[in-house]
Amino acid sequence: MKTLLDLLMLSCKKASELIDKQLLLNLSLKERLMLKIHTRLCEACFEYEKQSKLLDKLLLKHISTSEESQIPIQINIELKQKIIHNINPKK
Amino acid sequence: MLNEMDTNNPATTITSWVKLYSDNLFSWALHKTSDREIAEDLVQDTFLVAVNSFDKFEGKSNPKSWLFAILNNKINDHYRSNFRHQTTNNTISLDEYFDANEHWRPEETPQPWLVESSHILDNPEFTKQFEECMQRLPQHWFSAIHLKYIEERKGVAICQEIGITPTNFWQILHRAKLQLRKCLETHWFKI
Repeated sequence: MKTLLDLLMLSCKKASELIDKQLLLNLSLKERLMLKIHTRLCEACFEYEKQSKLLDKLLLKHISTSEESQIPIQINIELKQKIIHNINPKK
Repeated sequence: MLNEMDTNNPATTITSWVKLYSDNLFSWALHKTSDREIAEDLVQDTFLVAVNSFDKFEGKSNPKSWLFAILNNKINDHYRSNFRHQTTNNTISLDEYFDANEHWRPEETPQPWLVESSHILDNPEFTKQFEECMQRLPQHWFSAIHLKYIEERKGVAICQEIGITPTNFWQILHRAKLQLRKCLETHWFKI
């Protein structure tokens, strides 16, 4: 016979999906509750949730807020010459 | 600089900008796309736009900021079209990570990480590894990640822009993050 806990127990696959679904959509009350129960009981998904949030921070920082001045300069002489040639067609 | 500007001949002015800024623009594009060829194309396109819309520049802003604004638009356009062109492959399998009972496969089970938290991106070696892991993502997912994190805007707005359902979009993000997580664990956190 299924207990209440069984009904509320997610699989690891579903739990990890819900963790990342929150990036775009709000979870329902039931989903939030189920996720909370699961991550309390499951060490792997508890770690996944922590790491997924860390990845969000890293991705946000890496993709959106990097400063031009912090990027190492790559010299590309061929590109420079090619562009100059293209915008001065007669030369 | 500004007095050198000859509005009758934008090519002359822009040639001087190419000499001054093309390396900065290229470095930025390379950082954003992790692909030399794409970065070169984007910088070339940027200067073509600059030539064609030189009359809109009118010395209002600093040329470098103006060129960077054009380049950043080009980068976003690149990811948008890249994403649109590759949406045919709809099925996203998670079998690599989960068994038939939907448990983590033993070798895929997330292990605790020893993290020096938010300062980790200040470590150049980590950043290098992080970029390598990003490059291993299929282009389609890489584009999705870029579009999601470029500004911290709510994802639903992006979905409308690129024509995908929110469910499909978060599934792609989820799949991409599973792979990224695994890659970082294998190459950084496990050692």
